[in-house]
Amino acid sequence: MLAVAGVTRVAKRFFTRMSWTMTFAVVALLVIGVFFVYSACYVSEESPVRLLYKKQMVWGFAGFLCYWALAVTDYRHLRKLSWTFYAASIVLLILVLFVGTTIYGAKRWLMFLGIGVQPSEIAKFAVVFVLARKLSRPGLNLAEPRALLEVAGIALVPLCLILLEPDFGTALVFVPMTLAMMYAAGMPARILGIIFLIGAVLLGVLMAAMFVPPALGVTREEHGDILKWIGLRTYHYDRLAVFFDADLDPLAKGWNKRQSEIAVGSGGMFGKGYLKGTQNILGFLPRSVAPTDFIFSVIAEEKGFMGSLTVLGLFSVLMVSGVRTALSAPDKMGRLLCVGFLSLLFCHVFVNIAMTVGLMPITGLPLPLLSYGGSFMMVTMASLGIVQSVRIHAKQPKVAFQQRGLWGPAVGG
Amino acid sequence: MTSTNDLEAILANLHNDEAIRVRIMLCFALLAFTFLGGSIWRIQVLKASEYRSSETRQSIRRVRRPAPRGRMFDRNGVLLAGNRPSYSIAVFVEELRQPGRISNTVARIATYLDEVGTTIGKAREVTHDEIAIHIRKRRPLPLLAWKDIDEVTLARWSESPRNFRGMDIYVEPVRVYPGAPIAGHTIGYVGRRDWDETDTPYHYYLPDIKGRAGIERTLDDRLSGKAGGRLVRVDASGFKYDEQVEIDPVPGEDVMLTIDVRIQRVVEDVLLGERGACVVMSPRNGDVLAIASAPAFDTTVLKNAARYKAAMQDAGRPMFNRAISGAYPPGSTFKPVVAIAALEAGLATAETMIDCPGYYAVGEARFNCWRTIGHGPLDMRRSLEQSCNTYFIDLGVQIGYERIFHMASALGFGRRTGLGLRGEVSGLMPDDAWKRKKYRDGWRKGDTCNASIGQGFVLASPLQMAVFVSTLANGGNVMRPRLFAEAGETAGEIVNKMNWDPDTLDVVRGGMLDVIHATTGTGRLAKIKHVRMAGKTGSAEYGPRSKRKKYAWMIVFAPVERPRYAIALVIENALSGGRTAAPRVQRIMERIFDIEQGIDVDLAEGGA
Repeated sequence: MLAVAGVTRVAKRFFTRMSWTMTFAVVALLVIGVFFVYSACYVSEESPVRLLYKKQMVWGFAGFLCYWALAVTDYRHLRKLSWTFYAASIVLLILVLFVGTTIYGAKRWLMFLGIGVQPSEIAKFAVVFVLARKLSRPGLNLAEPRALLEVAGIALVPLCLILLEPDFGTALVFVPMTLAMMYAAGMPARILGIIFLIGAVLLGVLMAAMFVPPALGVTREEHGDILKWIGLRTYHYDRLAVFFDADLDPLAKGWNKRQSEIAVGSGGMFGKGYLKGTQNILGFLPRSVAPTDFIFSVIAEEKGFMGSLTVLGLFSVLMVSGVRTALSAPDKMGRLLCVGFLSLLFCHVFVNIAMTVGLMPITGLPLPLLSYGGSFMMVTMASLGIVQSVRIHAKQPKVAFQQRGLWGPAVGG
Repeated sequence: MTSTNDLEAILANLHNDEAIRVRIMLCFALLAFTFLGGSIWRIQVLKASEYRSSETRQSIRRVRRPAPRGRMFDRNGVLLAGNRPSYSIAVFVEELRQPGRISNTVARIATYLDEVGTTIGKAREVTHDEIAIHIRKRRPLPLLAWKDIDEVTLARWSESPRNFRGMDIYVEPVRVYPGAPIAGHTIGYVGRRDWDETDTPYHYYLPDIKGRAGIERTLDDRLSGKAGGRLVRVDASGFKYDEQVEIDPVPGEDVMLTIDVRIQRVVEDVLLGERGACVVMSPRNGDVLAIASAPAFDTTVLKNAARYKAAMQDAGRPMFNRAISGAYPPGSTFKPVVAIAALEAGLATAETMIDCPGYYAVGEARFNCWRTIGHGPLDMRRSLEQSCNTYFIDLGVQIGYERIFHMASALGFGRRTGLGLRGEVSGLMPDDAWKRKKYRDGWRKGDTCNASIGQGFVLASPLQMAVFVSTLANGGNVMRPRLFAEAGETAGEIVNKMNWDPDTLDVVRGGMLDVIHATTGTGRLAKIKHVRMAGKTGSAEYGPRSKRKKYAWMIVFAPVERPRYAIALVIENALSGGRTAAPRVQRIMERIFDIEQGIDVDLAEGGA
């Protein structure tokens, strides 16, 4: 009897307090994802590729279970586990450098029982957790260099390990995520300014290393050596160069960017119709990337501007509802968890779409909830589950935020 | 108390500050999404057509499809030129493509074709290079591995238990001439059409056929129809993905010729083994019922380089259409022109008598009559029957060359008839100006003497002679000979109305009737039972005099009462018109009237 009453109480709390808006957006994006993974693969000559949508369904379902499970779990119970989790992910990141499966010259995958796992995805999740815990510790003064270094170190260790794989895109995501969490944790604005300044200088050096030597007529090999010295590879330069000049090598490295742009552009206002995206069907949009990194071009081509807008709209809904949760969070850690996961989500969405429409260089970041891929799906769903958990476990749901609304006057203001 | 309150206030403020920071970040994120939305709007809406055209450019290929060529029938609906499906075994390269380099696909196709070849019992006909060229240049199109296969191969292919992946039978129309070599010169032949510069929007040009000679050439516009187009969608590797019809080809028009294959066959039979030509016309409307040149031209030689070369080097010149391109001195067949000119000018009558001593003297020179012992005194009708040279030379000199020239010109001599076949010659009706230009010498009396008997400079094609005899047959209408009737045109086109005096015609026709029906007539060997005919023989000398080579002529029309057929026939290197041409005309006329009577010639029967 007692157990039944307990379950009923948890269920009632769960159903009344969770953000249904967020759940709706998540489900909608998952469904869209399965449909368009099917569309991206149904013409493939290899039957495993044709059946990717089924795998995506399984992943989506598994992800959804994870989402619910984490939503009902009180996130505060996970606090103690965060460092263990972080340590485990670091071990995996080191492990992947030695026993990882090499795909396209990068060691990013660990094979567990036939399932590929990307330790970098797990690391993102762990870093958000540890940062949230660290930054929510009372008495932490982010104006102190020691505290700053500690916080930065938490992010930099996995970042550097990921750079070694190398996976430039994923590594870069750690930077805005960490900054966003620090900012939300109340880091003084001037410190942020200094960090931006340093960042700008570093970026300047990077760009100079990339583009000044070729302009001076240095050979490719020598340029490669210079890039290696600052931790880059020639293919980074190639991608970036192609971004700035798509005609440089239209049939090789510029191909994906060009074809993705054509796919999106030729979609027009209403698109060519579901399963009728010729860029994808005819293989101009390479089949290897269409269901993963370029799923947005498939959607944009087949459903046009309306489809693009729907996707952007659903992600906006996710962001807004996530921020509402952040604002209603019962404690600082909850809020920082929301901020961390939302900033991760935002970075992926923005960079992926911007790359698909030719606004950014090709970085290889997948589109959350839509792109095909297991690890990333699980991590995304888990992170959203935690955001949901923060909302469900808010002690006084009607206090802080709901009375004021999202943009209402602040308490005591 | 106060301190706790302060602390709470500070905490609240802090909280507040952090809430603002979160909101700021949300604003930033939404702004970024808005920026993305704007960029997508620019690409998908503002520049959509630009991207769409680059999409089309890279994935759509236009392929030109030739239209089926129109057929050709004789006047009774017998097929003269048609299309036969030619079966080829085609490889659809996209289905056999191999990953990696193109050479892998080439090698795969080659070995595959070897395998298929053993099954169907034919060696591979395309080389590695040809496969590679095809893949490089015409990737989305089928590669024809065995062209125009025979029935046995086709049967082996279709009955083979093997399933040939990526291969299929490809049907293409091929021009066929079921009756060949019947009327080969007239029908002509076709060849591949050259690249048409105006057709550039097509990526792939499947060349269609173009008439190169004969009616195939003359009526090419009508026969060839309008080519259609297909849009082939290609994938990123350039192989065919699917295709759709863009414009359906418009088939060429069928054409009905005036030729009667039965008469044509008779005429060709008669000319067999000779060098010469014959034209059978309807004097009523100018329809050419048969037109033949011997040796005959067999269009099938064009398919074989060795035979083509042999045909080109043959002394008999089988490619040369003597009926329209051969310019012969008309000889005595020209005499009716002189007679008419004299009668119409009122300078002579039927009773005009001239004595023939066997020659006509001009100063020192003598123009011999063929009957060297002379004909004695003759009137006009008898002079035609006897074809007396002296009579017509005398008459020609009396009336003057001017009148002969005008009459002949009005009758169409020296001018193309307008049959519509390429290579038609105008013949020659010489005059003073022409001679001055050509020989730097004025017109002399001797020239008039020669011209009066159709010798010397006068030249005419068998077709022109057919038009001339038609004019005599229909009572003075110079018809344009035709091989096909334009839409709605049944009566035929009259080029010139002569308005001859009925008496003139009576005299000339009477003389020509005697040529055949008088016991002494020069063309009596042409006589047939039941039908009365009128004609004129001619024997024109050519080449060195010592060789005594002659062109044997005969022009004839029948029946005299209501003429339906007009024939002009010439045989090279012959004895004389009366002995060489007349018996042949007889055979032709006999068969023509047999055909008319329903005593038919089997259409399927061969040339022999």
